[in-house]
Amino acid sequence: MQHSSLVRLPLAIVFLLALSLDTLSAGPPENYRFLSLTEAAQLASSENKPMLLYFGRYGCSTCRKMHAEVFSDESLVEKYNSDFVLAYVDTESGNRIKLANGERITEMQFATRSRIIGTPTFIFFSPEQKPLFKKAGFQSVAQMNLYGDYILGEHYKSMPLQAFMASQ
Amino acid sequence: MILRFGGLCLALASFQVQASELWTFENRISVSGSPVDAVYHHLDGAGRKHIAASTDSVAVIWEDNRSQAPQIYVTQKSYAQESFPAALPVSSGSEAYEPAIDALSDNRFVLAFEQDGAIFARVLSAEGLAEPARLSQTAASHVSIASLDDRVFASWRERDKGRWFVKVAALSITDDNRILLESSRPIEVEGLETPVLFPAIAVNEAGLCVAWEDRRAGHTRLLFSHSADAARSFGEPQSLNEFLSNRTEYDRGNGVTRVSLASFGADEILAAWMDKRRGGLGYGIFAALGDGESFGPNEKVHGEEGDAQPHYNPATAGSRTGDFVVAWDDFRRGDSDIWVSSYNEDLEWSHDYAPAVASGDGEQSHPAIALDEQRNLHLLWIERNQLDGPSRLWYSLGRTRQQP
Repeated sequence: MQHSSLVRLPLAIVFLLALSLDTLSAGPPENYRFLSLTEAAQLASSENKPMLLYFGRYGCSTCRKMHAEVFSDESLVEKYNSDFVLAYVDTESGNRIKLANGERITEMQFATRSRIIGTPTFIFFSPEQKPLFKKAGFQSVAQMNLYGDYILGEHYKSMPLQAFMASQ
Repeated sequence: MILRFGGLCLALASFQVQASELWTFENRISVSGSPVDAVYHHLDGAGRKHIAASTDSVAVIWEDNRSQAPQIYVTQKSYAQESFPAALPVSSGSEAYEPAIDALSDNRFVLAFEQDGAIFARVLSAEGLAEPARLSQTAASHVSIASLDDRVFASWRERDKGRWFVKVAALSITDDNRILLESSRPIEVEGLETPVLFPAIAVNEAGLCVAWEDRRAGHTRLLFSHSADAARSFGEPQSLNEFLSNRTEYDRGNGVTRVSLASFGADEILAAWMDKRRGGLGYGIFAALGDGESFGPNEKVHGEEGDAQPHYNPATAGSRTGDFVVAWDDFRRGDSDIWVSSYNEDLEWSHDYAPAVASGDGEQSHPAIALDEQRNLHLLWIERNQLDGPSRLWYSLGRTRQQP
């Protein structure tokens, strides 16, 4: 069985149960309204907003570098807080989530099943909760801004991300 | 076999025993029957202790949602039986997760599980399941259990007044198989502000060892603590995994997660875990051997043939005859298969071995293993045809090819 390189699970229809003792202590960036995956998926569906799903790891050095050097940028704070629903998954967490098929698994097992190998990994979803693209590793402020513009401007309906990035 | 004489190495590969030569796996036996739509089986307990071998029977424990809510089930068969009987429900609350099992004497087993945010244990015998005993006091999860000559110890994580604890209990078993909680103590009395996760426990004749994921250092490290007095006192936590840190301004250290422990021989312990020290390649399977009071250097378990891939869900098993094994899953062949490794005669980890019964089409993952006194390897795993499809549990007995 071969797997596609993007997303293997119907992430758009993931619903969370608040079952865990853990909190989001594993560390999404400050000043952002990151939610648990279930809360975010529900909110994105109800508000018809695009979603950014961030797979991180407690203490991950590239994640910490992005928090300090990228997510600290005010343009990103404004863009992603106001126009996106933000979800955070700790790839080593025992937090439990409930998938749309009814299965309950831990965030770690969800990341494994989604074939998330490194952190940070970002998956961007359309307002229709369709996974659009995945980016792994360090992303610059300019890149994160362009990813946001690509989705908010609905350019994904007319061109691939690579073409959009080249045109900017 | 590599013989070392003052730096001179003689390679005598023809004598090297590999994991593939240690066991002959029999036809797989279904544990849970055919897949049922929207029913999902999980083997995700702390230390991955979901199978145990007693005098002449084997028992397996898992969680599934056949009743709509996640609950715990167990089944047991003699080695001679060709099928598992219908599963017994173990839990009875609203929901239950992450069970563990170990063998007792006389074909009995001790089970532990999380139910509605508390930890319970109970005994399985030929008479069925005895009454459960509650072990935890406040919100608790991630239980592991180990026994030696019917002395039983359990570890779990507990949260009280905002602080996290790894707790260890000493248990005794009455003549009618009820569990008595003899003692329950935290390894560190003060507890922590940062979470502790998935403590695993092993016990041998020298004492007991608990290893867990610890986040107090700003990233996850594996710590372990030893008790030589039956869980009345514990040694200062020590680092199990070697790690690289401070390589950059932001570097705290590489990721490590999901440690499994197994005792072997009279007084030795094997630890294996997922370790991200290989950078962008994802998790490798690493291990350390010791007596539980200390461990030797970290060792990479999987061979070069799997070096380019991430590896997941390590499980350990050991026997009092001195054997020890690590199993895990990875998708180096496109989809997930089960892999096994043990020491060869050179005291090095053998070539990776994928038992044919747990390989091939579909996703075979989440192994749990046990060794019996005859050196046979009992293997349990999950199979799914699709990643988000229904699942089933399989079992296979790997009969030893070694001389007694």
